[in-house]
Amino acid sequence: MLVSWRWLSQFVDTQGVDPLQFAEKFTTTVAEIDDVVQWGFGLRDVLVADVLAMAPHPNADKLRLATVDLGGRTVQVVCGAPDLRVGLRVPFVPPGVTLPSGITVRDGEVRGVASPGMLASEKDLGLSDENAGLLSLDGCTAPAGTPLHLAIELEDVLYDVDNKAITHRPDLWGLYGVAREVAAMLDKPLRPFDLELKLGTAMPLAIRVDAPEACPRYTCARLTNVAVAPAPVNARLLLRRLGTRPISNLVDATNLVMLETGNPLHAFDARSLRGNAITVRRAHAHETLTTLDGQLRQLQAHDCVICDAEGPIALAGIMGGADSEIRPDTTEVVLEAANFDAPTIRRTAMRLGMRSESSARFEKALDPVMAEVAARRFLKLCQAWQPQAQIVSQLADMGPFTAEAKPLSIIRTTGTYLRERLGVTVAELSDAWLDACLTQLEFAVARSGDALAVTIPSFRATKDIKIAEDLVEELGRHYGYDNIRSEAPKVAARPPHTPPLKLLERQVRNTLVHAGLTEQVLYGFDDEDTRKRLLLSEPDGAPRVAVRNPISSQHTHMRRNLLPNLLAVAEKGLVQGDDGQPARKGLNIGVFEIGRVFVPEKSDDPGLPPVLVNGTEAEVAAYTAGMEGEMLRGVLDARAGTKPLPLQPIRLGLVFAERLGGGAEGSKLVFPAPEVTHRLLQQMIAALSHLMKWLGRDALTLQATGPEASLGAPDGQPSWRSKLGFDLVTSTGETIGFVAALHPRVRIELDQPAQAVVAELDLRALERVPLFKRVNP
Amino acid sequence: MSELPDWQIEIDAGAGRWQAEVNAAESLEALRSLEVQALGKQGEIPALMKRIPQILPQDRKGFGQAVNALQATVAAAIEVRRQALVETLIAAELNDTSFDPTQAALPLRVGHPHPLSTVQADIEAIFTSMGFHVLDYPEIESEFDNFEALNIPGWHPAREMQDTFWLESGHLLRTHTSSGQVRAMHEFKAPFRAIFPGKVFRYESTDASHEHTFHQVEGLMIDRKVTVGHLLDSMRTLLSAILQREVEIRLRPGYFPFVEPGFELDIRCQVCAGAGCSACKRRGWLELLPCGLVHPNVLRAGGLDPDEWQGWAFGLGLSRLVMMRYGVPDVRLLMGGDLRFLSQF
Ligand SMILES: [Zn+2]
Repeated sequence: MLVSWRWLSQFVDTQGVDPLQFAEKFTTTVAEIDDVVQWGFGLRDVLVADVLAMAPHPNADKLRLATVDLGGRTVQVVCGAPDLRVGLRVPFVPPGVTLPSGITVRDGEVRGVASPGMLASEKDLGLSDENAGLLSLDGCTAPAGTPLHLAIELEDVLYDVDNKAITHRPDLWGLYGVAREVAAMLDKPLRPFDLELKLGTAMPLAIRVDAPEACPRYTCARLTNVAVAPAPVNARLLLRRLGTRPISNLVDATNLVMLETGNPLHAFDARSLRGNAITVRRAHAHETLTTLDGQLRQLQAHDCVICDAEGPIALAGIMGGADSEIRPDTTEVVLEAANFDAPTIRRTAMRLGMRSESSARFEKALDPVMAEVAARRFLKLCQAWQPQAQIVSQLADMGPFTAEAKPLSIIRTTGTYLRERLGVTVAELSDAWLDACLTQLEFAVARSGDALAVTIPSFRATKDIKIAEDLVEELGRHYGYDNIRSEAPKVAARPPHTPPLKLLERQVRNTLVHAGLTEQVLYGFDDEDTRKRLLLSEPDGAPRVAVRNPISSQHTHMRRNLLPNLLAVAEKGLVQGDDGQPARKGLNIGVFEIGRVFVPEKSDDPGLPPVLVNGTEAEVAAYTAGMEGEMLRGVLDARAGTKPLPLQPIRLGLVFAERLGGGAEGSKLVFPAPEVTHRLLQQMIAALSHLMKWLGRDALTLQATGPEASLGAPDGQPSWRSKLGFDLVTSTGETIGFVAALHPRVRIELDQPAQAVVAELDLRALERVPLFKRVNP
Repeated sequence: MSELPDWQIEIDAGAGRWQAEVNAAESLEALRSLEVQALGKQGEIPALMKRIPQILPQDRKGFGQAVNALQATVAAAIEVRRQALVETLIAAELNDTSFDPTQAALPLRVGHPHPLSTVQADIEAIFTSMGFHVLDYPEIESEFDNFEALNIPGWHPAREMQDTFWLESGHLLRTHTSSGQVRAMHEFKAPFRAIFPGKVFRYESTDASHEHTFHQVEGLMIDRKVTVGHLLDSMRTLLSAILQREVEIRLRPGYFPFVEPGFELDIRCQVCAGAGCSACKRRGWLELLPCGLVHPNVLRAGGLDPDEWQGWAFGLGLSRLVMMRYGVPDVRLLMGGDLRFLSQF
């Protein structure tokens, strides 16, 4: 979100503060600033000019000659802008002036006619990318010839605040909230809004809210005698530099007030409204609405809609309806300033793919108090821009809404607790400073000795601030985390615990690397393309863990074995070469991976704290004692819906592969000499016996019972050859994995003629292999 | 002077001939074969003794002495020549400049640890030395451990489909190693300190700096009266050890539901020493990790009383750390399996 320093300075006295330097403090106190942009500088030689006369250019159809008044002198320049007309106020760049873009305006001829200067567009002046016409200085009352920077608001510094840094701070989605933080940082007062209005009664408006949980507050007012026109130049340029396209005075006013207060607004053309009552309700099934962007929207029952006497006129908090849109001939509007429930807005906006500036704000859980503030700001702005405009209704509210009517949240804590969490003493952070800091941020602090009762202001109470720890953060960031003494924690010296499996994993990794194999860390997803290409499948349709929302059609299931992915990288290595060895006949590579595989069978891990699984009612009650609200509900729901996690054993997979010759003409039908397969088997056996030796464990024996089928080949046999496949059996008779050559039908499908020998074993089973007894030579 | 016997003349001539041949031997190998030819068991000089029967009896003693003398003379000459040749060869070897150090080395069959494992092992060693358990928790997790227990209720944006891989079983792929926090609290009670490294998953499209699968290390310390000051000290100490240099850190506000207060931790940019450069996007600081004091709700979910116990936690991006340490330009290289990449480690 972009913040204008110039605008902010209307609410806080920023005299003497350099916004460029202040940015770092803002980042460490409030929210990260991604970028600081200087806008509208370098234009002090540009002047205000009034177009007095227009004449055709003798030598060019698309150019015209404009005579402009510069206050006491007139100049004729050539102008190509299509919107040039007599009476327009525009910026004039005198000859010799260099603009921020680096272009110097010449005192020369354009197509044979003298043109001492230039009339400028926003883009010419570096104010925006808008280049369709001249910058109209409508609303600027300075006399012709006035330097532009004295006539309109230029020379601003913009903070581009990281949106992710303020998702939890609804108050910071409006300039006023940012100004409040800056005021606290500078220890200056925050100027209140001027909200005094002369309201009318001639045309009453009624509001009915049938879905109060979706719409905590709804206000509206009726404004007549308005004329749709461009907004004043300062407002247009402010919107522009904050990234919003100016449209018309009414729409621009809604946008400016949203940027200022953080509360989105919507203006309806009053002509199109049927009846004088507004109803807020959930949509009916099969109801539709054509929104401003011309799309017909199918509504669902949880959507919240704004309706007139006959049906929906707006999708609450997201977008207005096309029928009630502000048009060039609109003269009367109904302004809506409301508060909508964050999850409702979020859900609908997501489903319809309609994330707007408005929905983005409501999703943050805005303060209902701000709805009325925003309404009043809008009405005041419209009257300032169009003094003839009249408010002909009360500011209608959904009912007796007052901030006090909501139960105020009070946090009870102590100064000692707050300081203790930060790690500061009372000498460093005094009671007086503490109270002043919170008060400046508009918390109400009631102190009785060390005890504090802190009332949360409505604009921080929707979801941001709830507990004492939240106050720790408020104090800490304004105190300055840099000012907190870093202190080594005093902890009991105890040897740490590392699970034996973890230790074994480290040993296996180091040993295999030293034995010449390269370690792989691969995805937990199976790769369906590889499995299909190599004709691999689970034997007997053994299930895999399925992903409900796969990232692609390739990654729909979790791997049940390490080997398919490992085989694929070995295959790729044979094509690309390895470790400086070229990819040619005889290239021999060895890879391994230690990682989890996933088997959709119940494990003994419930994915819940033990107390929720086997605890007595009394133990569960003790466990949930301090919990409340969503937390408590979440815990109890989880307990009711418990479902054990699937098995996630850690396996070790190994592949030795060798590239065969031939296959150059695209024929993959190259069969390995038996020696090649035997050599690869010997490499594998050597690696495994080396491993067992380094683990200090009994050797594994190979039993020619054939590998248990963990993956199937097309003819129903294991993908690993049964006659050249062996079970790995421990000294206690346990089968913990297998070694095998590839099934020929799988091998033939490899990208390159190659042979491979694979092995996969369970790491936890490896841990059970006895340590070997040392014997005499 | 009496006339010399024929054998005497022949032996004398032999001495001269052997001397000449020894001097002509240009290599140790040639000298060795000459030595065998002259003095070996089947050599020509020992063979002279077989002529004893043909020698006059009164000359036999003299003949024997002459042959022995010849043998000694030739042996001495060979030794002298050998020394000379050795000296020449030593000099030649010392003056050899023919090696071209730029030529390609011979291939050596070695394996390569994955850089993620190497960096993870370094981190585990550092934390182990400071009394942290090194733990391992499941990749397929319950909604409870990944979300509820971390104070991320049902409506929270982080729980929506775009961030999380959901499984048909209703479980999910953990989106952060923080899913181990409450598990560790129930397993070890308080106080304890632990790290848990591992794979995490995010439902997002991939590019040079985003992956749907990457690696993190979670750090957690639970004790009495844990403060922001402790967090600052621990982070500075541990990060200095991990990055193998003294680091300057700063905390700034950051929002994560499972910590309060929550921070983004930045380290002073090493490239520009804080002056601002392209590596730090002119900020002088690099965002390194999120951290904070453990939220009371998370302590409660862990079965701990927040009035008695507090803690700090951090989540370090292991993949990012690997990329920083080795200058890896694209995160997808880490799990891409390309041996040309992996063999550089
Ligand atoms: Zn830098």
